[in-house]
Amino acid sequence: MKIYQNSNEPIYKQIAAQLREDILSGKLRPGDALPSIRVLAQNLKISVITTMKAYEELSEEGLVTASKGKGYYVNAQDKKMIEEQYMRQLENDLTNAIHSAKIAGIGLDQLSGILRTLWLID
Amino acid sequence: MENALKINGVVKKYNDFTLGEINAAIPGGFATALIGANGAGKTTLIDVLCGVTGKNSGEIVYFDKLSDSDSNEVRNSIGYCSSANFFPLDWNLKSIAASMEIGFDGFSRERFSQLCKKFKIGDPNDRKQKKLMKMSDGNRMRTYLAAVLSRDTKLLVLDEPASSLDPLARDMLCDIFREYIADGNGKRSVLFSTHNIADMEYATDYAIFMAGGKIIEQGFVEDLKEKYILVHGEADKSEQAKNLMISYTGNSTNFEGIALADNMVRLSQLDTAVEKPNLQQLSIGILRKAEKDGE
Repeated sequence: MKIYQNSNEPIYKQIAAQLREDILSGKLRPGDALPSIRVLAQNLKISVITTMKAYEELSEEGLVTASKGKGYYVNAQDKKMIEEQYMRQLENDLTNAIHSAKIAGIGLDQLSGILRTLWLID
Repeated sequence: MENALKINGVVKKYNDFTLGEINAAIPGGFATALIGANGAGKTTLIDVLCGVTGKNSGEIVYFDKLSDSDSNEVRNSIGYCSSANFFPLDWNLKSIAASMEIGFDGFSRERFSQLCKKFKIGDPNDRKQKKLMKMSDGNRMRTYLAAVLSRDTKLLVLDEPASSLDPLARDMLCDIFREYIADGNGKRSVLFSTHNIADMEYATDYAIFMAGGKIIEQGFVEDLKEKYILVHGEADKSEQAKNLMISYTGNSTNFEGIALADNMVRLSQLDTAVEKPNLQQLSIGILRKAEKDGE
């Protein structure tokens, strides 16, 4: 896991985002334990409360569950919910792209062309 | 463990200074910073908590169960260390090891030797020993830390541990705090005072701000970062913004300060730039308000 300490993105959000990606991509499987809050804080050289807040955010999203005194575990994931989350993220990213395109005076055809090229490169 | 310490209505009176009334809970399993200007009462509070000095009224509950009357168990559970001369200055590593062994249950000579080596301050088993008075301030502090970390404790209480340390040693101190807390798995806590919070930001979970002998704000750092916002604006809007802000400094070009996040919308309407404060910026804002209120 890597975090930017001087980013505008709060550190707890960065941690949550990386774990979320690991869970949604299947790198962390249902039933897997997240690293201990205090050990992760020690390893990332950040305060305990910051890692705790990241875990609480994932817990509120239903991605993990806290087991009292034992730490956090990855939940069985609802495939449909995951798809919806990605869909929301996608719409958000495309809206940003459209916004930039409009500022730069790029039309829909040209934007589609860029998207097609990038898709083929990836 | 819910709280490492619960402080209920503690008051300590001196001729020219009164601490209190102090009400606070130091959460168990976390690192808590006491933040305040010189003379705010941080050291007095620490001394009262560790039984170094008495109090006029109030009570302290240790680890959810012990009171000051259980002094022996409290004393053995707390690793107290002050920035003042903690041991006589003609002592050395060897005499410190000997006295700690007599003074406390659970002092490990082996761990003390390891820490002395890690901190590069010498070897308590060497024949030739350097007296504390011949050491630099930084090495003296490292010696105190090595001594206190060689005990089996549940709470470290450190008065200004970072002030005499160089940047690398401060970084190591943060690592030590996190390691101590991680090893305790929720049962070990740290309380330390500082007036230089920037270096300790990433080792601070809970913050208690003090001014004039009183606590003026306290909370988990992540919660405080959501409670307050850092505001920057241009000078022509400063008069309107002032009333919405907690603390404020300005000049002919611009102004800045902190405000409650509740006022974010109204401040945004004044074309201000609003961001999340870090602990250092938060501390300055809160302490500046206290200083202004005291005038």
